[in-house]
Amino acid sequence: MANGSAPGLDGLQHIVVLMMENRSFDHMLGSLGADDPRIDGIQNAISNPDTNGTQVKPQPLAEFQGQVDPDPDHHFPAVDIQIFGGDTSANRTANMQGFIKSYFNQRRDVQHSQKIMYYFPKEKLPVLTTLASEFAVFNRWFASIPGPTICNRAFAHYGTSFGRVDMNLLYISEPFQSIYSRLINASPKHTSKLYYYDVASSTMEIVNLLQNQPELFGTFDQFLSDCSKGQLPDYSFVEPNYSDHDTDTGEEVASDQHPDHNVQAGELFIAQVYMAIKKNPALWASTALLVVYDEHGGIFDHVVPPACPPDQFTASANDTGTGTAFNFDRLGVRVPAVLISPWIQKGTVVDRTFDHASIPGTVTKFFLGDYGPRSPREKNADVFLEPKTQPVDPARNLLSLAAMRNDCPEFDV
Amino acid sequence: MAIIQVPRPPKDAMNPNRPANALLLSQVEHMHEAEKRLPLRYRTDIYVNAIKTEGEVANYIREVTAAIHRAHVDAARQRVRPAPKKRAPVLQIAAVAEESAPKGPNNNAKNKKTKVAPKKK
Repeated sequence: MANGSAPGLDGLQHIVVLMMENRSFDHMLGSLGADDPRIDGIQNAISNPDTNGTQVKPQPLAEFQGQVDPDPDHHFPAVDIQIFGGDTSANRTANMQGFIKSYFNQRRDVQHSQKIMYYFPKEKLPVLTTLASEFAVFNRWFASIPGPTICNRAFAHYGTSFGRVDMNLLYISEPFQSIYSRLINASPKHTSKLYYYDVASSTMEIVNLLQNQPELFGTFDQFLSDCSKGQLPDYSFVEPNYSDHDTDTGEEVASDQHPDHNVQAGELFIAQVYMAIKKNPALWASTALLVVYDEHGGIFDHVVPPACPPDQFTASANDTGTGTAFNFDRLGVRVPAVLISPWIQKGTVVDRTFDHASIPGTVTKFFLGDYGPRSPREKNADVFLEPKTQPVDPARNLLSLAAMRNDCPEFDV
Repeated sequence: MAIIQVPRPPKDAMNPNRPANALLLSQVEHMHEAEKRLPLRYRTDIYVNAIKTEGEVANYIREVTAAIHRAHVDAARQRVRPAPKKRAPVLQIAAVAEESAPKGPNNNAKNKKTKVAPKKK
């Protein structure tokens, strides 16, 4: 396509991000590498040693529930073992050889610890693998931090975790605004909403946003209604259901796919989000949906997380729990990420490097253009949608088709 | 393209008695911090240290999330209360006063209510 001609980008009005929980790329999408060698999935040479020294290969034996129990440790010290194989020396090299070793530490059962290498055959995940094959799958989307959920989700909201590598959310006096505040305070004003599943699941972004700006939030029912009525904001962030709970209308099964929640419930939820957008033709034509996971949850992946420019914050040796300070100068473990739009060429595989700072980075550049006060990590993060404000480089534009597709998949939801 | 069937989770996937994972427990902790900032009338009487299962987590989070929304809605209502009735312009009052009220140092004294201590029985 000629430089600057990008009807998909020109008509793009809505960006939707759905962030799931705690599964690695190899675990969910690694099986696709067998069909498409461009996808950096499971390969024959991959293995991890167990605590007896036996090399264990990944196997397509992952189950929907009841297998990765207890919840694999994915706090900073455990992820350090997973990435560096337990080597704590000064000149160590990341080798992704410590996943079984780390999981063994929790139950001290050699056979059980090998299950951390299991992955799903594509037939078991018809929603995520279909979307990855039909639209754009990212070979190099990493968690922002080699650590747990909250600090990684903070990168999706703020472009930084303000120096945190743990589950503590009490960073109230933050120097950078959330992506939502940036949008609603902009001139001209933009619209933005976080949709949590329901009040019993609520949000993981509590202290900073729900407490002070509850008007930013809606429920998943409202998301469905907003899609149907064509009232979706410019930017939406969707959270899954984090817990099994009863409601006045029945039972709600957790859909976040966090171990040991049922993975099929998450598949259904992803399909519901996708179909809610697709069923409204005008919305479908003008929306890009990103499905991404917050971090790997302690589950095996074979790609070494790359270094990145440091953030302006440092986590102390005490905070990391490893005896070494962390300057936020390398990424976390690779996670599944798929970008969906009818303007994306079927079977697109993206090799550029992204992390969750790319989310506010992309949304900010797309809707607001140049915006000064952002974290160093966010400023350096790549964007997955090209800004409208500059001539579009066709080599980078993922919404590259000259005409909208009419062969996109539909799910029975 | 044919419609792709999405398998539903089995009924036994649901278990609100499952021990809450670390993420949910930290969500409770954050909710509790938010709850502490609410006015007393919005707070729950749930003892967060005793929350162990997903169902209990959900129950607590439901209460606090709803309370946060309620507290903001109530505050917004207070903010948009109708303004008090406008007083007549000062000049008019002064003009009327000049016409009808006798001049004197104690001309307002008779309108003032005086607090009187209750008589002892």
